[in-house]
Amino acid sequence: MEHEGMEMTEMIRKECTIPATEMCAFLANYSSRLFTSGSTCIRLEKNVTRIAEAYGMNVEITILPRHIHLTVHDPGYHEVVTAIASIGEGPISFDLNTRLSKLSWQIADGKISFEEAREVFERLVDIPYHNIFNLPIIVACANAAFCRLFNGDWIAMAVVFVATFVGYILKILLTKRGVDYRLTVVACAFVSSVLAACDGLFGLSSTPDVAFATSVLYLVPGIPFINSFSDMLDRHYICAFGRLMNALVLTFCLSFGLGLGILLTGVHIF
Amino acid sequence: MEIIWEMLQDGFFAAIAAIGFSAISRPPRQAYLWCALIAATGHSFRFLLMKGPGMSVHIVIATTLASFLIGVMAVLLSPKTKVPAETYLFPSLLPMIPGIYAYKTFAGLVMCMYHSSEGMFEKDFYLFATNGLTCFFILLGMAIGATIPIFMLKKISFQATRHKIRF
Repeated sequence: MEHEGMEMTEMIRKECTIPATEMCAFLANYSSRLFTSGSTCIRLEKNVTRIAEAYGMNVEITILPRHIHLTVHDPGYHEVVTAIASIGEGPISFDLNTRLSKLSWQIADGKISFEEAREVFERLVDIPYHNIFNLPIIVACANAAFCRLFNGDWIAMAVVFVATFVGYILKILLTKRGVDYRLTVVACAFVSSVLAACDGLFGLSSTPDVAFATSVLYLVPGIPFINSFSDMLDRHYICAFGRLMNALVLTFCLSFGLGLGILLTGVHIF
Repeated sequence: MEIIWEMLQDGFFAAIAAIGFSAISRPPRQAYLWCALIAATGHSFRFLLMKGPGMSVHIVIATTLASFLIGVMAVLLSPKTKVPAETYLFPSLLPMIPGIYAYKTFAGLVMCMYHSSEGMFEKDFYLFATNGLTCFFILLGMAIGATIPIFMLKKISFQATRHKIRF
């Protein structure tokens, strides 16, 4: 099956007459969307190279923290085109990541033409994502479960549930209003920590410190942290550093919000 | 017997945490169940290593080994469901992210600036350094443990989404 795919790929390569400019523009859009969706650098490189080679082109990629630099050329360097794609700010979406990876294999296996690939790409990025869960409730459940993993009791879990639920609703509202994400994290961490501090202030549970400490964990940028270390292992040091800095800045914002909560309520967890 | 019950509990709550936190990163619908299963297995394995009878493995080593297990499961499952390994891998790792260590690091750093006496500074610097180093090495261990299976099984990892395509 794989062999058949390779033959088909070779056939398309021979027949390829796609201008490098169009190819470069397509790959720039594709790589920008794939990066925003939470892809690691190694997957981005592999997918983009796979698509370019399927159409008989070569591509060189430089991935920077906010831009992707692509140079597309034919094997004889008769046509060389460079594009710099800005990386947009959008939510991480493993659903889109999966669909874009599938698209790259469809192209590589010669199942769709370049025109069709462009149409499919436009369609894929426009598909709205419908979460099967109510996000504030499921995130609140997750954070309450986290509280339990740190040996919090059932009342502490309930307190964390409420603190997270309210914090997450605030996060959605502020994001909809276009507030800077870092300020949003500060505000959500502050609100969640103050609500969680009620556990200790009113003597509700036997583990108020756990409730307070875990109430803001839903704001920890987990995927950027993992992505940055994954890129670092693949020697994409600049991109890894960029992602790490983003994650650290958000963690600092979270700590700042939590610190304000400590100042207001007088609760000590350190 | 008690350790098995505790492991099951740990796995159950890790599964809920994985579903909830993975929902934020918009996974494909079919991924939820597998993320929960993989996260539960990995987290309860880490629990066993750290708190099992006669074990008490350090959190960094335990997390690295559990991440390796999660990585192997994610890579082997991905071609069967035609989903990239990261889609299972990253959400399943989320319950092990050292969030508390991360913000205690910043708290320690900020408190270092507030105290003028040497004794208090040393205490807060100790808080900053221990939490920061633990956080760093847990993340590094997670990335190494989870990435090794991807490179060991490169052909499976990067061809998982091939064929049987439905848009």
